[in-house]
Amino acid sequence: MIEGLEKFIGIQSEWETACDAVEPGAVRRFTQAIMDDDDAYAPKAATRFGAPVAPPLYPMMMFRRPHGAPDPLRIHGNDPDFDGLGQSSSLTRGLPEIEPLAGYALLNGGTEVELFRYARHGETIRMRSRYADITEKETSKGPIVLVTTESEFATPDGEVLLRARRTLIRRKPK
Amino acid sequence: MTVAFEDIQTGQEIAPLVKGPLGTMHLMRWSAAMENWHRIHYDRTFAKEHDKLPDILINGSLKQQFVLQFLKDWAGRDGWVWKVSFQFRAMNLVDETLDIWARVKDKRDIGPYGLVELEIGIRNAAGLESTPGSATIALPHRNGSPVPYPFRPSA
Repeated sequence: MIEGLEKFIGIQSEWETACDAVEPGAVRRFTQAIMDDDDAYAPKAATRFGAPVAPPLYPMMMFRRPHGAPDPLRIHGNDPDFDGLGQSSSLTRGLPEIEPLAGYALLNGGTEVELFRYARHGETIRMRSRYADITEKETSKGPIVLVTTESEFATPDGEVLLRARRTLIRRKPK
Repeated sequence: MTVAFEDIQTGQEIAPLVKGPLGTMHLMRWSAAMENWHRIHYDRTFAKEHDKLPDILINGSLKQQFVLQFLKDWAGRDGWVWKVSFQFRAMNLVDETLDIWARVKDKRDIGPYGLVELEIGIRNAAGLESTPGSATIALPHRNGSPVPYPFRPSA
């Protein structure tokens, strides 16, 4: 195994609250981008969900750069090797960068989700994650590192909306 | 409109959800909506010359929204998409059209509602399967109550 990877397995983040609540405008842009006109997502929706809601996986996309946080484009904007993502990926939100994989390309390898409730418009969401596993694998295109994270998305009073287990594929640049 | 558990047959194919062709405008709109600026989804030069990819990639995060939309719409208002699992096994490139599909693998009645196990995936026009996976959907009984919401799995 690449030296220094094991120590990251089991590391868990603190609970982090999304910088914005579930905003109707952000839900509109999101649903327009995925081309889903379900009227449950519209303001004033009256469905059995009790309030206008966001799409099922919306909480996973809510953890963005808060106001005043360092701007990656100010830091890396002139770096031709900057992938535009850095540590801003929602896949590893709140977790420390895995230093031995610094500079490795990142691809989304897959997801397992368990869903319990939709997020409502106006609701505050928080999350926490952990590195569940890190393994190396040899493929026909060379070695890769599989990083598995587990995340919970919940309301401030602890009601879990969904759980996600995600696999990140990290590959050393050629 | 919600399909009833009793109406489902093992082996049944579900009418696919078709998305696309998904061009750079679709991908840029998605990147902007979720504030994800990963260059491989809109910067062709970076994708091909730096990351050695064949072209701009359709976001995995966008494909997973399509899967959830497809399953949610099939389950209907009175059903519930409980579990979904998928792997991004192959790349989908800009300008592809995606068919999100499912087939019923199994079903079981657990009392207050039924659970349907699905095999799922995403195919492009060339037939390449990029996103194989599975899902568990809770469906109400015919003339029965909606699946409880918020969903709390029955023992």
